Amino acid sequence: MAIKSFRSPLGRARGTGSTGQGTDHWWHQRLTSLALIPLALYLIGTFLAYVVWGRSYASARAWLHSPVTAAAVILLIGVGFHHGAAGLQVIIEDYLHCEKLKIVALIAVKFAAGFLALIGILAVLKILLGA
Amino acid sequence: MPKAYEFIDHTYDVIVVGAGGAGLRATFGMAEKGLKTACITKVFPTRSHTVAAQGGISAALGNMGEDDWRWHMYDTIKGSDWLGDQDAIEYMCREAMPAVIELEHYGVPFSRTPDGKIYQRPFGGMTTHFGEGIAQRTCAAADRTGHAILHTLYQQSLKHQAEFFIEYFAIDLMMDDKGVCRGVVAWNLDDGTLHRFRAHQVVMATGGYGRTYFSCTSAHTCTGDGNAMALRAGLPLQDMEFIQFHPTGVYGAGCLITEGVRGEGGYVTNGNGERFMERYAPHAKDLASRDVVSRSMTIEIREGRGCGPLKDHIHLHLEHLDPKVIHERLPGIAETARVFAGVDVTKAPIPVLPTAHYNMGGIPTNFRAEVINPTASDPDATVQGLMAIGEAACVSVHGANRLGSNSLLDLVVFGRAAAQRAAELVRPDSPHRELPPDMGDLALARLDRFRHAKGDVRTADLRLEMQKIMQSECTVFRTGESLAEGQRKIRAAWAKRDRLNVTDTSLVWNSDLVETLELDNLMYQAVAALDCAANRTESRGAHAREDYPQRDDVNWLKHSTVWIDEKGATKLGTRPVHLHTLTDEVKAVPPKARVY
Amino acid sequence: MVELTLPPNSRVQPGVTHPAPEGATRTKTFKIYRWSPDDGQNPRMDEYTIDLDKCGPMVLDAMIHIKNDIDSTLTFRRSCREGICGSCAANIDGTNTLSCLKPIDEIKGDVKIYPLPHMKVVKDLVPDLTLAYAQLASIKPWLQSQTPPPPDRERLQSPEERAKLDGLYECILCFCCSTSCPSYWWNTERYLGPAVLLQAYRWIVDSRDEMTGERLDNLEDPFRLYRCHTIMNCTRTCPKGLNPAKAIAEIKKMMVTRRV
Repeated sequence: MAIKSFRSPLGRARGTGSTGQGTDHWWHQRLTSLALIPLALYLIGTFLAYVVWGRSYASARAWLHSPVTAAAVILLIGVGFHHGAAGLQVIIEDYLHCEKLKIVALIAVKFAAGFLALIGILAVLKILLGA
Repeated sequence: MPKAYEFIDHTYDVIVVGAGGAGLRATFGMAEKGLKTACITKVFPTRSHTVAAQGGISAALGNMGEDDWRWHMYDTIKGSDWLGDQDAIEYMCREAMPAVIELEHYGVPFSRTPDGKIYQRPFGGMTTHFGEGIAQRTCAAADRTGHAILHTLYQQSLKHQAEFFIEYFAIDLMMDDKGVCRGVVAWNLDDGTLHRFRAHQVVMATGGYGRTYFSCTSAHTCTGDGNAMALRAGLPLQDMEFIQFHPTGVYGAGCLITEGVRGEGGYVTNGNGERFMERYAPHAKDLASRDVVSRSMTIEIREGRGCGPLKDHIHLHLEHLDPKVIHERLPGIAETARVFAGVDVTKAPIPVLPTAHYNMGGIPTNFRAEVINPTASDPDATVQGLMAIGEAACVSVHGANRLGSNSLLDLVVFGRAAAQRAAELVRPDSPHRELPPDMGDLALARLDRFRHAKGDVRTADLRLEMQKIMQSECTVFRTGESLAEGQRKIRAAWAKRDRLNVTDTSLVWNSDLVETLELDNLMYQAVAALDCAANRTESRGAHAREDYPQRDDVNWLKHSTVWIDEKGATKLGTRPVHLHTLTDEVKAVPPKARVY
Repeated sequence: MVELTLPPNSRVQPGVTHPAPEGATRTKTFKIYRWSPDDGQNPRMDEYTIDLDKCGPMVLDAMIHIKNDIDSTLTFRRSCREGICGSCAANIDGTNTLSCLKPIDEIKGDVKIYPLPHMKVVKDLVPDLTLAYAQLASIKPWLQSQTPPPPDRERLQSPEERAKLDGLYECILCFCCSTSCPSYWWNTERYLGPAVLLQAYRWIVDSRDEMTGERLDNLEDPFRLYRCHTIMNCTRTCPKGLNPAKAIAEIKKMMVTRRV
């Protein structure tokens, strides 16, 4: 049997030690999923009322013109992308074992999520604050 | 030395062989004292058979009623049928309390009383006021006390950073021409390498030889390797005829059902539903000593009052107990009964049979765990460099019959004693003498011979033959005739050792070869047990001779010793029993009739 | 990336077939994974059709029967044969369990036996558990306290405090649970796995232990603890009926509550 490493098993088990974090990530994932339930329900409801049954661009703009709806949509975008990015991070950590690729993927997910969330929020603001 | 084998050499202050309760207690005790210690074990430590001990560990803590270690000592001497060495028994019973307290401090998850102390239950033969009342002396962690203790001892070994050589099979001791033990030869199953461990002290903690029997409560790995290694090193074994049959092994499977069941209020009945123990032990009833209960059950079955269609077993009842008690105190046996007997213990009795369980005999030692090789002038002469503890040893604290819950106690008390004695005998890192160059060659030759054995007898077949001989000729009741028959048959089986066949020739995890080496070890001990049993013409404790039904203190109040050479020729001897105490804090108990 | 196929030298080939003995009326076929480090061959599945009347009721009885009477080279660990030592764990009929506690008649069709999944194989059904043992050692599985215990009596613990250890201390370290956990498969080196986390929790809730905070600190890590995705294979497979998933959930709960 080829011996690849003489490192002791305990050394392997201890690895680089405990990072002192992890709970936040795990807890935020639960919190955000909790927050997404009422947000999503509220938005689906009002979206149906104004946009689907209203069937016009104007009614859709009116829908987003309400500060309550706009706030909810902004929250949905922020929380949703945060939640999605956190979930993707776990999947990448689970299944990507090439260190370089993993780090690139993690950064890409974080940046993409932030960028897309920002675009969405700005779009809402544009309608809300626009004429 | 056969070619193609190369030794890897190691040097330690102390080597412990075996990682059960005794071996682990000794290992980290020695590491704690600054001795460079290694423990060699053929199984991962928590797989050792201590893990299967159920009922508990005795100590006169008095948590659940009055108690005194002197009563414990009296019970142990009476239980041993006066064959136990009273100085060692005094040591064990006195050290029991600090030893159990120490275990609790290490973290053993003992069950608790309402006021938070260690829970204690009644056990067979454990009394107060020198036989008057029933003592609650057995400290328990539900019915998994051995598991709780063994895991805790392993945890302590991790804490003390003890060094382990796991899945190393010890082949033989290295004895020099002055009769000094210099170390041990072992085989690493994981990569097939061979190792010489040189040490100032070697501690044998290799357990019993229950697997000489066809039906036993012992694990497959209980093959008494250390006892056979001692014999091959020219040392004697002691009291090998005393083999305890546990009254309650599951009928068929042989798995243990703890005596704690009867401690918690369970009882046995015969085929007529009669609580027959009232006839045999009017005072202690179901909580009489194990040898007494096993004999009573055997008589009931033999006289046609057994249970079941074949009238060949006995019923153990606990369906009258509160299910809460079963759940809290006996969860493990409820599971065992369900899996191995198909019985729901809250509704039906468990079918049980007396089953080979424990070996009182083994490597003779004094109470400091030093191995004894008696000479004509000094029956207590010690062997330099060698200790033995646990079931492998015969201290002798159990004499002719061990009391339940005294074995876990034996492990920790004498494991600790060995560590203390080693610390007195060995200065840490003191220099070693050179080993003679041919040291270990005998062990290698033995390994090589079996590895390339190409005869016509399968290991499993010869093992079965030996087990059947022991099962039928060396059982609860013995006669001169049955033993003579056993001696004749076991000699015939011994001769087949030269015709064994080993198919697997690899050195990596060759369990075919391991089982063959273990069988060879078992054969030595089967011969020893039969020859000693035939020689002892009296009945005492677990050795019940129908042709000599009485105890004979005039001729037989002494230990038997046995040496066996490579050809299977035995030499028998005796050693006086220590009938004196260690201190004057307690009086010796002179022999008297043993009634429960 | 995660490899979805086995490396070429691990692909299992068909092996030797040992037919039923003549005259056997009640037979059962066992397909057993075989691999030896000595011959450079790929692993193979050997087939043994045995006479059930010649062996005991459990899968371990069948394995011993095969070793005794058919093929003595078959290699596996075993000791107590009553489910307390944890030696004989294997993947039987698709589930990790103790072969000594698994009745043969519970299995429909042929009995397939593999070593515990995703561990390096030493030989046949013997896996290398070195890393799992080291992971156990890494959580310091012993009682830690600064308050000295009373010199001549036990530490006190109420029956209620002691009851918290039930379902935890009984673990026999067979590692059926850890080796059934996909998360442990993917991150063996960094995730402690259910067996070790169960032990960690055993010490976290022991009223006598004083290092609760340090123990939690040691687990405060995205991998050591939080690779548990509540897949629950651990609890489903535990041959002793323990619930490692619940123990892990309790640890996570403590992690959160100690900071809010």
